Amino acid sequence: MSGTSPALVAAREADAAAASAVKGSQAAGELAQARERYAELVARHQRRAARIAYHYLRDSAEADEAAQDAFVKAYQHLASFREELPFDVWFTRILINGCLDRIKSRTRRERWLLPMSGARTGGAADGAADERAMTDRVASGGLSPEQALLGRERRRQIATALAKLPERQRSVFVLSHVEGRTSREVSALTGLNESTVRVHLFRAIRKLRGLLASDSVAAAGELKGKRRVTS
Amino acid sequence: MSDREFARLWTTGEGHPHLDACAACRARYAAFQNWLVGIGETLRDEADEAFPADRLALQQAQIARRLETLERPARVIAFPKAARAVISGNSHVRRWVTVAAAASLIAGFGLGQVVPLRTVIRQQNALAPEPFTAPAAAIRAEGLTPAPTSPRSDEDLLSDDFASPRVRNLSALDDMTPHARDYNVRAK
Repeated sequence: MSGTSPALVAAREADAAAASAVKGSQAAGELAQARERYAELVARHQRRAARIAYHYLRDSAEADEAAQDAFVKAYQHLASFREELPFDVWFTRILINGCLDRIKSRTRRERWLLPMSGARTGGAADGAADERAMTDRVASGGLSPEQALLGRERRRQIATALAKLPERQRSVFVLSHVEGRTSREVSALTGLNESTVRVHLFRAIRKLRGLLASDSVAAAGELKGKRRVTS
Repeated sequence: MSDREFARLWTTGEGHPHLDACAACRARYAAFQNWLVGIGETLRDEADEAFPADRLALQQAQIARRLETLERPARVIAFPKAARAVISGNSHVRRWVTVAAAASLIAGFGLGQVVPLRTVIRQQNALAPEPFTAPAAAIRAEGLTPAPTSPRSDEDLLSDDFASPRVRNLSALDDMTPHARDYNVRAK
């Protein structure tokens, strides 16, 4: 959970070079060139940004908007970026703050709106997209229908368990396990102490272990019940 | 070793002497690590499915468009001048209207203090016609009631004294008008 790979070091050096080039172009008023160089940074960090935003917001449309906003904001405030800090850490912090703001405003909005039947509209749309994706995969011969169904069920269980974690534990877990960040990096990203990050991570793992174990027991029970009914 | 211990070891990245000695716990720890790696992979796959390559390309194009829009200054649509003058707080017209209203209020107040308005009103009341009050109405009603008339004969009613007009201007018209008394004379 500590140490930085040589590939990551090289990527960070490339980021720093691109960021300083964009800053230089912005200062010189060569805005088209600045945008062109910034597109390199966007392409390099886009997928990671989309993943993080998706795990925070659990809605692909909102995650898309949050990632876009973060890139635009980072471009606007690139003058305040210090090269001694890795660009990805600085950018991820902007993204996480944006996601947290969105979660807050969503919570406020949902407090005043009538609850919709079932999941949110975005969630429903994502569900439909999942169905389509699964149909495509099955049709293309990548997975058997059973495998696809099991995989989907496992994803659903993990997502549900992750959603049950407190916000900080979830953030730390996602950044550590999904993004492969070290405790020190997670500490820089979240503004938490490194030892606090470890404690949150430890608690998140224990809680997930418990939740997923109870889920699998429940799923096994359901399966047994279904078999009994069909026989 | 418990799951709790595995989680602690995994989080801190430390080793444990028991793991080197016990093959069963080593295997369990390996399974625990696989489980954690599997969760990470599953979560990554889920997010990547929500954002396929074409969606990311679209997102990149949208970011580029938004950055381009940032650099263009916003267009300001000119608002009609007259309307702006009325709305604007710094308008000269508005200021003059306010000053005039305040001046007339002060002047009115001062005039009210100088002129003895009560005496003027009292004088006016004295000149004004008597108001319609109940005793006056009673007096008028008395004047309107017909006076008791002495019984007159029909001959008296047809006499010249009674029938001749009392208004001088109407006498010419009266002369041209046939009268009942004329018929009476003829008949006699």
